[in-house]
Amino acid sequence: MSATLDKGHQVFREVMDAPVASFFSSCVSCGLCAEACLFYTETGNPRYTPIYKVEPLRRFWEQEFTLLGKLKKVVGLSKEVTDEELVEWRELAYDACSLCGRCSLVCPVGIDIAGVIRKMREGMVASGNAPEGLIGAATRAVNIGSPMGVKLHAVQAQARHVEKATGLEIPFDREGVEYMMLMSSMEIMNYPEYLEAVARIFHQAGKSWTIASDAFEATNSGIQIGSSDIARVLVSRVVDAAERLKVQTVISPECGHAYTAIRWDGPNLIGRAYPFKVKHILEVLDEFRAAGLLKTEGLDETRLTYHDPCQIARRGGVIEQPRNLLNMVASNFVEMTDHGKMNWCCGAGGGVSANEEAEEIKMKAFKRKKAQLDELNLDKLVTACANCRIQLEEGVEKNHMELPVVGLTELLAEHLVEDSKEGS
Amino acid sequence: MSRISNDIEFRQTLGQLELTQQRRLAAMFIESVISLSGDERIGRVLKSANNPDASVDEMARALKEAKTASLYSYTRCGAEADWREQAGYFVARAAEAAVMPEGQIRSGGPAWQAAMSCRMARTCLAIDTGEDAEHQESETQYQILTDYLNEQKT
Repeated sequence: MSATLDKGHQVFREVMDAPVASFFSSCVSCGLCAEACLFYTETGNPRYTPIYKVEPLRRFWEQEFTLLGKLKKVVGLSKEVTDEELVEWRELAYDACSLCGRCSLVCPVGIDIAGVIRKMREGMVASGNAPEGLIGAATRAVNIGSPMGVKLHAVQAQARHVEKATGLEIPFDREGVEYMMLMSSMEIMNYPEYLEAVARIFHQAGKSWTIASDAFEATNSGIQIGSSDIARVLVSRVVDAAERLKVQTVISPECGHAYTAIRWDGPNLIGRAYPFKVKHILEVLDEFRAAGLLKTEGLDETRLTYHDPCQIARRGGVIEQPRNLLNMVASNFVEMTDHGKMNWCCGAGGGVSANEEAEEIKMKAFKRKKAQLDELNLDKLVTACANCRIQLEEGVEKNHMELPVVGLTELLAEHLVEDSKEGS
Repeated sequence: MSRISNDIEFRQTLGQLELTQQRRLAAMFIESVISLSGDERIGRVLKSANNPDASVDEMARALKEAKTASLYSYTRCGAEADWREQAGYFVARAAEAAVMPEGQIRSGGPAWQAAMSCRMARTCLAIDTGEDAEHQESETQYQILTDYLNEQKT
């Protein structure tokens, strides 16, 4: 056995807790998870059945933790998990899974399959079987502070640009403010309009906020690659900054898995509760709406729909808020057939977009979204995750669809009533 | 007319122009940063933006080209930042703004939106080289607009 395989086995053993054991012992092989997974439905490949993606981990559990499995191993009826097998499973655990959690939702015996795939990835990382793209992103996240290598001076440069365009200050390292804003590298690099929209909305709402110069990044590559150690380091940076600045609430941006990381996994990773709240930007904006702090004008009359990012809606529960906000500014909002908690993934979450090996399959997976969109005869598509947005834009382009994709925060800002929209 | 010297005046003035004039100015702003993009589609988009008689079909084709240029130049999630390449992405975004159909134009109009993306392109270059050229680009844009308005008067 190689040293890396030994490490992989060791981590498989470490992640094997009571929930995972009960999941494996309760699976009835019904196959419902297959029909819930867009990688299966859009390819018909039975290897993409979600529960099959964790087969090495299941066999490891059986051989190490059950009497029958131990006997099967002794008499040669069950073979050990090998290096070659983990190499083969890389495609299934990373390329063909966006950790969207739709499989977990439909499982009749309640197996959190996506959660188990996350655990499987822990062993894949330890055994040296994570994709290169994700390894690079995780390394940069730890060493530089951003998976895309975005440094503070780049954020400051973008902030100066927004300040000039809006005449509003982008505050850094302000102590005692209500909100600390996180951003994803995708927003910093590709969508500066997000920061501009936030600045304008918070100005109108009269709320104080700041960006932490040592923890501006929301993206958590540790969650994507499946390394709790890396995830913990990245969460700790945010927690340390929020505590140092004594903020009341940390805001996760328009990024799906960032919300999962900081809102749901974070306290478990660091082993304690936060002294502050964590909310998704849409939750905060909806609170502003409910409190009458948002003044908007005009309605977008185009026929539009909302793509629920999986980590925000299905795994995060932020479903009503975007609809409340859309109804403020749009008069022709229509729902996709499956929306909210049962929405279909864009096909690029869970590290798929950062993984060059998954380029082909992520576009096959997009066909499901295309079918949903084709039913509606739309003028516009709105979402609240920069990663979904890029995948949707790419899918629209490659499938020759005419459909602009916009971020919800940005759409809301377009309708703000402002004393002056001019820059300084 | 006296030289435009700040963004308040710049945005207000742009907002008062006809749509075809705004598209023309957007194209002029982009020409100032086009060297930051190596995508030949941008040049074709500018021709359409510059043409006040462009048909709906021509503008739709131009928008498609601009969007394609934008999608081929964005930085993929998790990929290492290359700010020089990213400047090309913002030039493409400016080109998108220049030919955006009326119903989809963002606040400020096509010229303002293009101007902002052109400045972001310069910002990307500044991040790459350490030299802040965004201020210089806004000054260039003020001058372009001032010259344009003076030309219109004569």
